[in-house]
Amino acid sequence: MPGMGWRWMRGRGAAPLSFFVCAILSVAIALLGKTQASLVDGARAKLSDFASPALSETRAPLAAFERWTAGLSSLFGVYRENIQLRQENAELRKWQNVALALEDRVKRYELLLNAAPNREGKQVTARVIGESNRPFVSTMILNAGAEEGVKKGQAVVDNRGLVGRIYLTGERTSWVILLTDLNSRVPVVIEPSRRRAILVGDNTASPKLELDVGDGRINPGDRVLTTGDGGLLPPDLPVGVVMEGTDTPSVAMYAAADATDYVQVLDYGPAARLPATSSADVVASSAPTRAAPAPLPVKSVKPVKTVPLAEQTVARAVTGASDDEDR
Amino acid sequence: MAARSVEVFLIGPARLLAALLPLTLSIALVVLVNLPVSLTGRLLPAPVLALGAVYYWILVRPALMPPAAVFSVGLSEDILSGGPPGLWAAGFLAAYLLADRQRETLAGLSGIGAILGFAGSMLVAASTAYCLAWAVYWRSAPLAPLVLETIITVMFYPFVALSMGWVQHHVIVPIRRHDETGVRDAIVRRQG
Repeated sequence: MPGMGWRWMRGRGAAPLSFFVCAILSVAIALLGKTQASLVDGARAKLSDFASPALSETRAPLAAFERWTAGLSSLFGVYRENIQLRQENAELRKWQNVALALEDRVKRYELLLNAAPNREGKQVTARVIGESNRPFVSTMILNAGAEEGVKKGQAVVDNRGLVGRIYLTGERTSWVILLTDLNSRVPVVIEPSRRRAILVGDNTASPKLELDVGDGRINPGDRVLTTGDGGLLPPDLPVGVVMEGTDTPSVAMYAAADATDYVQVLDYGPAARLPATSSADVVASSAPTRAAPAPLPVKSVKPVKTVPLAEQTVARAVTGASDDEDR
Repeated sequence: MAARSVEVFLIGPARLLAALLPLTLSIALVVLVNLPVSLTGRLLPAPVLALGAVYYWILVRPALMPPAAVFSVGLSEDILSGGPPGLWAAGFLAAYLLADRQRETLAGLSGIGAILGFAGSMLVAASTAYCLAWAVYWRSAPLAPLVLETIITVMFYPFVALSMGWVQHHVIVPIRRHDETGVRDAIVRRQG
């Protein structure tokens, strides 16, 4: 066997054998991570459960330092930013009044039309105890898991908008796949054209829009909301606005995953409509949620109907929530 | 034969610690860069510091950084970063292959040359991880974050190399020297 590989093998004795075993093992693990994600994810969830107390303790001082360094860089623009914020605040107050009036009017119309109300499930407020922003992954770890009723596929929001969805749950921790992650796919609708699209993460700060069929015109500044297709994610969750100046439309996110300490996990999917099957579920449904800085507005809780299995499957396919698609 | 058995018997915990130190330090660096906080507000990706340590030990004490240890460090990076498993494990092994084959050349480099040598290994590791991600997930990740991570890792390499050098000269070498002296004395006593 001529060639460099043979010479290398001849020269080093036992090392090449262990090298090739390890190389094959790493490729096998990569394939296993794709086809049998639950095996790897299970190990990862156990590890994060085990490390969660240490992660919580470590994050506090480091996060303070992080805020300090971030604050230092924005110190020079404080005056200008303050003036801008005052103007925005005045504008927003005006719109708040308009929104309240419209909300009231919509409620009256719904009563008149006897419209089916939006479903609402329970929600869990969780603290962010870990985050990862690497070339192949964009995730965060929360300090709430199966014990608190967090389940795979549930939407995660901060006080601005949708952050991502749960893709892995341990007993006391859960992992969030951010909208910016390479594996994230979320069905969205663009306002005001009502054109539908899939929001595709690419590990950059601005995920791309893969436009669905339709002829609605899309303009920079248009709002992007979740569609609620498939019933897994709630509809009309704010996601972001369409950005200007790119060939492929991309979205500037409302949610700021890097500045978020607390998030809410919304239990809206099919699992929310099934009766509790374990003590953990019962505990979670009766447990009070912890305080959040500024929770999203919660609508009234109404009886919900069971979604057929086919619809659940569609939901998983659309949002990419299956084991294969997640990691 | 008797002398060898005495030598084997006298490999104490200190020497074992010295043997495990490179692996332990590399995994500690994996934990350090995967602490749940981004000091740059997620603006920059965290460096792969562990590869710097692995590269250093492959060149300086290859016996203490065998392929299995390199694989373990890479897999730790995969698991703790939350990314797809196996990518950095394969990347680290590719860097091992390059550093092991070119050890004489790379170990002789100093200054900017040494940094460029490591940059080559980092590039090989990142390319391998990228290609494997593409092959397995059939989707290409954006290159810019990976390039940025490579550059940041290379910038941090001198600090990692200096730290590992300090450990090598002030911990591992004295332990091994002390241990060898002890073994030699024991053999002499036994033969005498």
